[in-house]
Amino acid sequence: MIPPDLLRQRHGPLTRELVQTPGNFGLGRVPARLKPAATTTSICGYCATGCQLKVHLDEDGRALNLSPSTDYPVNLGMACPKGWQSLDPLDSPDRGTTPLLRDASGSLRPVDWNEAIATFVDRFQDIRQRHGRESAAFLSTGQIPLEEMAFLGCLWKSGMGFLHGDANTRQCMATAATAYKQSFGFDAPPYTYADFEESDVIVLVGSNLCIAHPILWQRVTRNTRQPRIIVIDPRATETAQSAQLHLPLKPKGDLPLYYALAHCILRDGRIDPASIGRCDGFDAFAEFVRTFTPESVESSTGIPAATIEALARDVSEPGKRVSWWWTMGVNQSHEGVRTAQAIINLCLLTGNIGKPGTGPNSITGQCNAMGSRLFSNTTSLVGGHDFADPSHRLKVAGILGLPSDSIPADPSLAYDQILDAAGRGEIKALWIIATNPFHSWIDSGRLAALRESLEFLVVQDMYPDTESARVADLYLPAAGWGEKSGTFINSERRIGTLKPFRQAPGLALTDFRIFRLIARAWGCGEMFERWTDPEAAFRLLRDSTRDRPCDITGIDGYDHLDRCGGIQWPFPAGSSKDEVPSARERRLFEEGNYYTSSGKAKILFSPPAELPEPTDVEHPFTLLTGRGTSSQWHTQTRTGRSAILRKLYPAGLWVEIHPDDAARLGIAEGRPVTLRSRRGELDATAYLAPTVQPGHLFLPMHYPEVNRLTHPSFDPHSRQPNYKACAVAIHPAAPRA
Amino acid sequence: MPPLDPPIPHSLLPTTLQRLPSIPAPKGRSAPTTEVRTLIDELLAEQKSLQTPVARFSEVHDREPDLAPHYRTLIPLTKPGAGEQYAFEVSLDRCTGCKACVSACHSLNGLDDDEAWRDVGTIHGGRDTPGWQQTITTACHHCEDPGCMNGCPVGAYEKDADTGIVRHLDDQCIGCSYCILKCPYDVPKYSKKRGIVRKCDMCHQRLAEGEAPACVQACPTEAIRIIKVPTHTTATTDRLFQSTINHQPSTIPLPTITRPTTRYVGREVPATAVAADRDTLVPQHAHWPLVFMLMLTQAGIGLLLGGMGHPPVILAAAALFFTGMGASVLHLGQPLKAWRFFLGLRTSWLSREILAFSLFAPIPLILAALPFLPDFPHKSSLALGTSYLALGTSHLALPLGLAAVFTSVMIYHDTRRTSWRFPRTAIRFFGTVLCFAALGLLLAAPSPAGLTVFIAAVIAKMIPESRITRLASDRNAEWSPDLHSSRMLRGPLSGVWDGRVLLAFLAVAVAPLQPWLALPFLLAAELLERQLFFQSVHAPKMPGHPGAASHHHP
Repeated sequence: MIPPDLLRQRHGPLTRELVQTPGNFGLGRVPARLKPAATTTSICGYCATGCQLKVHLDEDGRALNLSPSTDYPVNLGMACPKGWQSLDPLDSPDRGTTPLLRDASGSLRPVDWNEAIATFVDRFQDIRQRHGRESAAFLSTGQIPLEEMAFLGCLWKSGMGFLHGDANTRQCMATAATAYKQSFGFDAPPYTYADFEESDVIVLVGSNLCIAHPILWQRVTRNTRQPRIIVIDPRATETAQSAQLHLPLKPKGDLPLYYALAHCILRDGRIDPASIGRCDGFDAFAEFVRTFTPESVESSTGIPAATIEALARDVSEPGKRVSWWWTMGVNQSHEGVRTAQAIINLCLLTGNIGKPGTGPNSITGQCNAMGSRLFSNTTSLVGGHDFADPSHRLKVAGILGLPSDSIPADPSLAYDQILDAAGRGEIKALWIIATNPFHSWIDSGRLAALRESLEFLVVQDMYPDTESARVADLYLPAAGWGEKSGTFINSERRIGTLKPFRQAPGLALTDFRIFRLIARAWGCGEMFERWTDPEAAFRLLRDSTRDRPCDITGIDGYDHLDRCGGIQWPFPAGSSKDEVPSARERRLFEEGNYYTSSGKAKILFSPPAELPEPTDVEHPFTLLTGRGTSSQWHTQTRTGRSAILRKLYPAGLWVEIHPDDAARLGIAEGRPVTLRSRRGELDATAYLAPTVQPGHLFLPMHYPEVNRLTHPSFDPHSRQPNYKACAVAIHPAAPRA
Repeated sequence: MPPLDPPIPHSLLPTTLQRLPSIPAPKGRSAPTTEVRTLIDELLAEQKSLQTPVARFSEVHDREPDLAPHYRTLIPLTKPGAGEQYAFEVSLDRCTGCKACVSACHSLNGLDDDEAWRDVGTIHGGRDTPGWQQTITTACHHCEDPGCMNGCPVGAYEKDADTGIVRHLDDQCIGCSYCILKCPYDVPKYSKKRGIVRKCDMCHQRLAEGEAPACVQACPTEAIRIIKVPTHTTATTDRLFQSTINHQPSTIPLPTITRPTTRYVGREVPATAVAADRDTLVPQHAHWPLVFMLMLTQAGIGLLLGGMGHPPVILAAAALFFTGMGASVLHLGQPLKAWRFFLGLRTSWLSREILAFSLFAPIPLILAALPFLPDFPHKSSLALGTSYLALGTSHLALPLGLAAVFTSVMIYHDTRRTSWRFPRTAIRFFGTVLCFAALGLLLAAPSPAGLTVFIAAVIAKMIPESRITRLASDRNAEWSPDLHSSRMLRGPLSGVWDGRVLLAFLAVAVAPLQPWLALPFLLAAELLERQLFFQSVHAPKMPGHPGAASHHHP
């Protein structure tokens, strides 16, 4: 008799590899060899959408796999590829496993923590003694939990006695933060994600939501009100493809556009008097926009007057809920704050604020940019306070247990000013934590020049091979997301928790533990005695928010956050401990009370400024930069280490060019080209993309050479770099010798 | 751990910084206190202990999957009936290219580090509709007439009678990769560490339990669903495949070959739409064992036919032929399972090739061995036998040899790849036979006529090849698979093409001096020809993303 499998082998070891089994924990079927023994949850460590992931654990509490959480009010069971692949970067063989110190030959060599910390303390103490409190700075991140950000900020300023520190949130959120602060009296994004589902008109400005925040686009698609979706963007992005109306405006043409919209709305009387009554500065603004007729801005915006008139009607339709959402197209601009405020003004004029489906809404970039804005102790004092206010300093010092005179009254330099000071030799040492400025900072070639004038550069990161870590004098190996606990705050002000479910490799320590170590070695350990673990720190920080707009004194601790599906600020003491479902999505300004001293919102405006670097004969193209694909993140130190994510984007740097321009210049699809700005040049592969306008080029920001070209100009209010418009030339690359 | 040197890969730093100076030794270094040392040990120990708070007990029990309410409307309520099968439906209005489907497929199926059975690409509007762009998500199309299944020599594919899902039997697979060549959508993928291919099974284990496939579960915009489609009908609603039928040649594969069941619905696809990776020039897999197998078996057969009756030539022919046969085994990931090749005879040209070569193989063996037969008693009767054997074998050599080469041609013709169509492949393969037959004749009986025939054969064979390379000279030529091959030959493969031509001319040049000298040159020239055959082909696939397909790492 012939065995049944003799001719057709339906079973066997190779078949078994893919057999599935019920995974329990509400997971459905999972591969049998990845069946979890337990699960836990953690907020994703990439963007500020703040998706919660359900982590599948083995018997030892180690993560085997993960999938998006279904009952979390942010992502409702979904995640983008970066979230799905969150474990991959932890497994990379490139992880830093030991501190590294530059030796006499100039190479980085492994040392133990004793030597690393002794060097760290000796060098910084020496520099502080010789040059004072303004002679060193830290450059931190929006990618670590707020407990670590606050520890760093307090350790640096109160413990070690330095003044200057800033974070890469300057590159992404400073504009939105400043705009809200000036207009509303506090950095307060007013919305909740449910507003995507409640809007009748959704205007997306400089935001490729489909690619940069796919899970927020999910909320747009869940809107059952048949919303009109309008995209304002120089490129015909994936999001523009999905919109009813795309306005391909000229780069930085948005400020005159919004003033023209205000002009039309005021001219036609399509305003909300009650809302305007809760604003200061209306009359001056009405006078200011009188000259901004749609015709007068046609050339600066590239949008026909009739389209502007139609858009003005769309966004001021009485009875319709209009929400405005912006991202880096607005923030990374030489006049981003005024542009964001022009959007805020439109909402104030038409009463589209404080109601479901409305709002001037900034979508944040990094997972904890919002935590940084409240707790990093850089631009504002911990807990949403002002350094300049003596009562704030006294209050925060008291709650955190810091000496009251240890909190500086004077402000820190901003990121660009820190680098300027380093260039002038005034700042002698930098401590870089979980960011990669040698790749990401605008006009990055300047960083290289500046490195030579630094006496000491410390880089603390998961990987010793980032562009920044490779030029460090001292590298400190950090544990990453998944190896630590703490909390993030997402774009809609929701606080959620992270859990450790992987051991860090080798000698790597969490940033929190590294800060504890430095505090002890520096001699200020007693000041931070109560900062024993992230949750203890969280409780201190929570208490510091008392009576501020971001008051979260009603939160018990991490378990309370998990039980409620995250909690949006404010959540003052006395709030219902177990949030009722209706409280899971909350927005600000429902009563029309703003955080300014007058209680009214401010209408702020300035005449549009000139482009910092207009195109000319030698550099005839406008260079735009931005997110390449949904599977890439910033400088790729993590996403570049996932084999699956690498499959999902092109291998090398590509430049998008309009087919007409390419034909004119003799550039063929897929051929090498050279781009040149006044600051540097790079080679890329041409992609003939009709989604960019003639005269424009687009480069994804994830490749280290891109910022050799960008132009170092900054918003005067927020000091945020203007990454998105500079003048370049392009030509076919010279054949290789 | 070795020191990191050089410090910077991308020459981001000026040359002065390529080696940074060491930092000055601090004055009077303070050794860490015992307190600090203890803390370091404590913190390292803490870091190694995982005290992950886990899910509450109520979550542990087996219960309906959390996502079930979400995907309930995205899969059919009932199994397919008669004349129906399961199919993916993709809404072009909803797909925005977030690629979560790819990651979910990888993660929820427990695939290898770089393995996913779904992929996402882009098409744009092309000439007539600039500015139009659409992302396209693709897995296996679970075709009505699966090319993979028809091509498989060992029956490692099955089309499920109830669901229509095309399943791959991993333990049956011999890793010949022919399904990869046969699939017009580039779906099956070879797993080197297993020596087999794997592909999407529509999560049939999940569907059987009323759960949605991983990609359906994970799509944030509900762009992918499972539907039931009637079989044996044309998909008139399909946006993507209809567009390619209306506009040929296109990089979007024709649906008429295998009848894919996936339905792309929603926004209309412009007639001029092109895949974003259409002009990407990445050489295809060379399949070196196949290059050697095809070229050497054809060279052996040619030499054998040309050198009949001349033992040294026959010996060389047999050596080449069996080296080629040996090479073919190296092509298989699981050679020990290849004995089941007869299971595919009804549909697979690869099965037929194995059969044809098995039948032919004794011929060169016998012809090569006969002259070495020792003297026996009763030699005369045996001599009579052997001479009949020799005669019979020689007569069989031509039809069986050409039949074997014909099956080789059909293997590639049957992939329906444009540049492997019958005349193209036949000219190459039989051309190789002819060149070596001419060389065999020349070796067996050197003569000016023989030399002329040899030179003519070698040069004539290159004419159709060089005509392809000339297509790319026309800058305004419309895209076609042949134009793609031409650009490959002029671009990334130009060195190989130059070598192929140079070696052929060298073979021709040395032949008048000593015909045996021509043999290695001709072998090398033909090897490169066969490498180009594989590497310059336009392999149809679903749209990919722009830019090179190899991978970037920081």
